[in-house]
Amino acid sequence: MTRSLLLSFSAILAAGTAANAQTITINSFGGAYEEAHRKCIIEPFEQATGASVQIVTAYSADGFAQLRAQREAPQFDVIHFSGGQEIIAAQEGLLVPIDPASLSNAGDLVAAARPNLEGGEGPAYSIVAMGLLYNSDVIETTPTNWSDLTNPEWHENLVLTDISNTYGMQGFLMLNQVAGGDLSNIQPGLDLVGQMLDGGAIVVSTSPEIMQEFAQNDAWIAPYSSDYAFVLQDAGLPIGFVQGAEGTPGVYITANLVAGRDNEELSLQLIDRSISPEAQVCFAEEMSYAPTNVRAELTGEVAENTPFGEEALSGLIRFDPQTVEAERSNWVDAWNRTIAR
Amino acid sequence: MTDRRENLILVAPGLLLLAVAFFWPIGQMLMLAFEGPDGPTLDHFRRFLGDEFYLTVLWRTVRLSLLITLICLLIGFPLAYIMARVGPRARLWLIIMLILPLMTSVVVRTFGWMVVLSRSGLIPSTLRDMGLVGRSYAIMHSELAIVIGMVQVLLPFMALSILGVLLRLDIRLEEAARTMGCSFLSSMRSVVLPLSAPGILAGSLLVFTLSASSFVTPNLLGGPRVQVLAASIYRQVTQTLDWNFAAAQAVILFAGVALVLIPYIMLMRRPAHG
Repeated sequence: MTRSLLLSFSAILAAGTAANAQTITINSFGGAYEEAHRKCIIEPFEQATGASVQIVTAYSADGFAQLRAQREAPQFDVIHFSGGQEIIAAQEGLLVPIDPASLSNAGDLVAAARPNLEGGEGPAYSIVAMGLLYNSDVIETTPTNWSDLTNPEWHENLVLTDISNTYGMQGFLMLNQVAGGDLSNIQPGLDLVGQMLDGGAIVVSTSPEIMQEFAQNDAWIAPYSSDYAFVLQDAGLPIGFVQGAEGTPGVYITANLVAGRDNEELSLQLIDRSISPEAQVCFAEEMSYAPTNVRAELTGEVAENTPFGEEALSGLIRFDPQTVEAERSNWVDAWNRTIAR
Repeated sequence: MTDRRENLILVAPGLLLLAVAFFWPIGQMLMLAFEGPDGPTLDHFRRFLGDEFYLTVLWRTVRLSLLITLICLLIGFPLAYIMARVGPRARLWLIIMLILPLMTSVVVRTFGWMVVLSRSGLIPSTLRDMGLVGRSYAIMHSELAIVIGMVQVLLPFMALSILGVLLRLDIRLEEAARTMGCSFLSSMRSVVLPLSAPGILAGSLLVFTLSASSFVTPNLLGGPRVQVLAASIYRQVTQTLDWNFAAAQAVILFAGVALVLIPYIMLMRRPAHG
């Protein structure tokens, strides 16, 4: 009796550990992004490998904070960043260097998407353009410049995003640049934001809230990204997206391999799938993300609206991620003081 | 085995669990508040207490908590009295209605408030149609929204605390006061209120501590512009990764709540008078 009990217990344990070896944990960004992520990468991955993927919803800044906190015992296998945190994470030893030979699709990536695989910075699998979202029913003349946002008539219906969100940070840094500041001096940006808030603008912190503001609460214009513009247009709203003439910040969404976990093989397969042509075309069709794999072939409307290829991508502005990370805590402090009521 | 030893042994597992799972980790975290690059320091506290911005956050947290406690008391006491005086079936239904908001997830509940209180929501659009407010009026993302949301969820704590005490109150005491010539309000003031003081105190304490440390509801209803202390701690931990400062803020919050506890403990030590 005891022997059979022992045997059944050890069988259960063995099955348990075998099952564990087939699960990887990743983060995703919630909302429409996570749905596209599931459809284009995660579900095909699960079907192809039989593994299961656990998704934790965490924005890049939060995910990075968690990774640092979990240094001794990381809980993520693959971590996705949109704000350049992979550069700092690689320097701190939180990410594992990737041998390009282990990713079958690495050779087809544009150079900007794989600046430092051997140093641990994972490849970028989506590139997003920042610009102006506007309600084309209300604003008849298409805005062309970031500085159009300084028009006081629009401030009452302007939506700003908190800088805890990568898109909010990028939008703010662009506003700062337009107002005359740079990465060493964000006071002009803060002053401009203060003016906007006095004029009646509101601040939200997540992408679904932006969508809600445009859908229900009479928002006219917001500095945000091309992917959510696409989602809103898809939902039937009269939203236009335009890249400002002063420049377009590019957001590089990367998939990175976390150090200290024992699922490297499986995780690398997930990263490889993220940069495969099929996944990239799927992402472009779902939310208009620009592919980084030159073999991804876009057709029709999607091809027209999505920046693609070395040339288009090289024109994107990239605010130095090292400086952004180093200054983040000072900036968050200053931002909180500016927006506090 | 003596009684006392037996009690200690029975309580030991619970105490051990509490010590390992609660006191030790919290203690370690609180120690972070005194940590500095060159050894123990009070710099983080100085930074908090010397900065007008953070003092505003602290004052807002305390002010809102006191306001919420007061409103819960003003609504909760009459509600509890009615619940105590009606029949058992009606009381059951009233209790169910009272705790129904607690049964839904806090996030779902808060999103419900967002629908009612945002710019195009029910209340602001009604006010706008009546011509009382401007075009872009919204209750959402303001201190008023936080108070409304928190009162909804903390009212059951106050009402049920007072209800428990009122149910044990002998109704003949009230009747005696009335037959002696007291008006209804006088009998409330001189008989019911003093006797229900323990319930009022317990309820107030619960509501105050819960609202001072509350995070999700003020964060969602107040938005990024209206910060309370718990939201500030969250930002320090997740965004700026300044854990020492966040721990200092946690200590200050804890101290503030403990300060409220002290008068309560002193009041409860007084021998109960019938």
